[in-house]
Amino acid sequence: MNDMGIAQSATPDRQIDSAPFFVKGAVIEGADVIHRSRDLGVDFATPQVDLDSLVHPRTELPPLLNTPLAEIIDFLAEAGQRLARPGNEHVEACIERMSKVSLQPVQAIRYLFANALEYLDRKVLWEVVEKNFPNPKALDEWVPQTDHTGRRSYVRAYAPRLVHVLPGNAPAQGIRSIAQSALVKSVSLFKMASADPFSTVAFLRSIAEVDPTHPLARSMSAIYWRGGDEAVERIIYRPQYFDKLVAWGGGDAINNVMKYVGPGFQLVSFDPKTSISMVGREAFASEDTLAEAARRNAVDVSIADQEACVCSRFTFIEATPEQADRYCEILAHEIRVDRFGDTIPRSLDPELKEQIDVLRMLDDEFAVFGKSDGRGVAIRSDTPVDFHPLQKTANVVCVDDLRNAMKYVNVATQTVGVYPFDRMAGLRDHLASGGAQRVVRLGEAGPGTIGAPHDAMYPLHRFVHWMVNEDGCVGEG
Amino acid sequence: MSEAVDRLVGLMPGGKGFDLSYDEVRDLQVAAINERFQDRVGGIKMVKHRAEEAGISEIRSLEDVVPLLLPHTAYKSYPESFIADKRWDRLTKWLGTVSSYPVDNIDLSGVQDIDGWIEACQAAGHFVSCSSGTTGKPAMLPATQADLDFAGQEGVEAVQWGSDIRPGDLRTMAGYGTVAQTARNAASGGALMQAFADVSKIRPGKGPAITIGSIIRMIEMRKAISGGSARPEEIAEYERESAARQHVLDGAFSAAVDNLIENRADRLLIMAMWGPLYQLAAEVRERGYGREDFHPENAVFLGGGLKGATVPANYKEYIYETFNLQPRFIYQMYGMQETQTSMARCATGGRYHIPAWMVCLPLDKDGSNLLPIGAEPVEGRAAFFDLSVDGRWGGIISGDRIEVDYRPCACGSRSPSIADNVVRYADIEGDDKIACSGTIDAYVRGVS
Repeated sequence: MNDMGIAQSATPDRQIDSAPFFVKGAVIEGADVIHRSRDLGVDFATPQVDLDSLVHPRTELPPLLNTPLAEIIDFLAEAGQRLARPGNEHVEACIERMSKVSLQPVQAIRYLFANALEYLDRKVLWEVVEKNFPNPKALDEWVPQTDHTGRRSYVRAYAPRLVHVLPGNAPAQGIRSIAQSALVKSVSLFKMASADPFSTVAFLRSIAEVDPTHPLARSMSAIYWRGGDEAVERIIYRPQYFDKLVAWGGGDAINNVMKYVGPGFQLVSFDPKTSISMVGREAFASEDTLAEAARRNAVDVSIADQEACVCSRFTFIEATPEQADRYCEILAHEIRVDRFGDTIPRSLDPELKEQIDVLRMLDDEFAVFGKSDGRGVAIRSDTPVDFHPLQKTANVVCVDDLRNAMKYVNVATQTVGVYPFDRMAGLRDHLASGGAQRVVRLGEAGPGTIGAPHDAMYPLHRFVHWMVNEDGCVGEG
Repeated sequence: MSEAVDRLVGLMPGGKGFDLSYDEVRDLQVAAINERFQDRVGGIKMVKHRAEEAGISEIRSLEDVVPLLLPHTAYKSYPESFIADKRWDRLTKWLGTVSSYPVDNIDLSGVQDIDGWIEACQAAGHFVSCSSGTTGKPAMLPATQADLDFAGQEGVEAVQWGSDIRPGDLRTMAGYGTVAQTARNAASGGALMQAFADVSKIRPGKGPAITIGSIIRMIEMRKAISGGSARPEEIAEYERESAARQHVLDGAFSAAVDNLIENRADRLLIMAMWGPLYQLAAEVRERGYGREDFHPENAVFLGGGLKGATVPANYKEYIYETFNLQPRFIYQMYGMQETQTSMARCATGGRYHIPAWMVCLPLDKDGSNLLPIGAEPVEGRAAFFDLSVDGRWGGIISGDRIEVDYRPCACGSRSPSIADNVVRYADIEGDDKIACSGTIDAYVRGVS
């Protein structure tokens, strides 16, 4: 019996992939515990968790505290080049293992990796810092300030102690999290997800190879435990060890965390999101504009097989059902285009398939375009469907005016892709009021503006421990 | 044209369905499923759609059946907005996609709410049962009078096959459980009581009933909260109602304990699921009663698994001890609301027996392929074709993992049987899933 209480149904000689840990610069191998990847029901093995090794005592200064930011950025950039080198053994082994436990096709995983590595670029990293901090020097020094009454102080964006709970549906989110943790000089513990217990360690190993004794390597640890496991969480989720828990995503693994949040132990959460699209009647001006809008919409739906938070799931369109059907026909066709060269898509989850097929039969309310074969469908309706659109399912909802679609915008709405682009300015105040966090041109949900706020916050600004040293008044000794 | 179906279903009286071995019935079962298919494919749109997609026009083997099986969630596939917006005509049309018989005979005039809709369906011969589902969205299962009659009688026969409980026992009813008020539950419960209980001692309005209306209200509230349209006072009112309902439930539990203690000298028939039964036993002991106080011929009717209840490892012994239960009066069965056949547990083998008109199809975890049926036990996802079901399609894929053996059982019955280690896949998958894409549901607190 393993720690999940599942009787081993694995055949004894079936190879179980090992997911080693990375703890403060050292790789920890071992197959003491067998876990199951939730998504594909595949086993992987990890070492036993050594709780003491996961924390840095507060009596010791964070290793990166006085490493200049410029050096950290150079270090990250060099690590990025190593990771991007074709045939990097850690990355290749990682991609291979991930394709077994993740729902995403291999090509999508490779794409996401490459995409994440673009983050590890000097210009990008500097821009991220500059956008997050009015004065980036605060990361390196105690920056002098004076208030209008003449009181002097020194402010430091002090290195925080962070626990990160990483998502399983975004392979390579670990790269970004590592980079951001390094930029704020944090001591960071990354808890990996069962759908991706490999990539974060692979990156840290590559980073450590640049210089294993570097304070950056010594500041980071990445391990796996089952989300909610009190044997670990009750012990280490404490303000004595960490300032903040950074939750990248949601679900049961995060719900369990709430009971630990309290004075001195704060939650920074990038909550689960449903992103949407909005299409104005201008799309129907011509066949070309219609095709353009539908194509752009399809791009936003299909990112990473519609697994990512930025992916569009609902499209609100100013159209009659007949018009919307013309749009949906093109949209479905575009969604079903095989952009990653994966000729055999994963078949639809049976419950999702059933939901979609029932709507085909309720044909005075709904119209469904595209087969239920996992390649994608577009569903036309007059209110949003009550199931969560997944696996490239786009629900196109007819409205008479996009302003009337605001009732469907809520705090779970992250990205709103808009067409035509000149309508963004007229919609964004209402979208923000509804709770949305990001308005983009339809078709551009994927690329992100460097250093822009994410989920309604400036993440790095939120991570640090803002410390002030007040020092009398100007004119005093 | 239902000769094969009739032959198999006709085995129900007297529990004869448990006598036949798989080899004796397998061909007849396939023929019977084909009869049902030919008869129903035109009328049940969901099945017709699947048959067309899979290119199936005749059932010649069990493999042919697999694409035609409906996932258990099929009966929850109606858009919630049909109920929230009171679109009874639309909901009726949806019902038509899963019902064997046309729904155009349902008179919707004057229907104000979901309970009214159910009454209108019933008046037209469509007995719709709503489950209380864990996601809050009820499953709606149409049935005919023939189904209610069969289920009632079948339940009584199964009890006699699986235990020494007998008609005429004149037992005093006891137990606890929140049971949705549906025609189906009334029929089954009524038949059991008529057969085994002293009806003169039954007090009306015994247990707390969950109306479909209250479940729907929960869905509406959740939508209103997530959509941002619920005002604080509305939420406060809803929370007061929920608290009041909980209070009633708590009171009913207390009353159930009182009932047990009051009638402890009688020969009882206790109906409950394991979790609540354990709680009843604990409370009875807490109040100072136990084995010496209870009748040696007490009987218990247990359906369903633990369903996530937290109980200590020795919960069964604890319960048997508390109520002075002997094994021969303990009836357990495995079944599901989408079918209507009881798989009664045998005492010797401790296995759930599958009667001849119930076809068990073990599938792989995905539910797409039939696993080989041979001389060894098979572990897989439980799917069934219940040939007795009339008002809807009898083929269903459940959420359970079972181990089924098609050989005769050590108890002497030759029917296929299922081991007593049924689990729901949902319960064993673990909750370590974390994703950055999700719905507003994560943001709604307090409406489960």
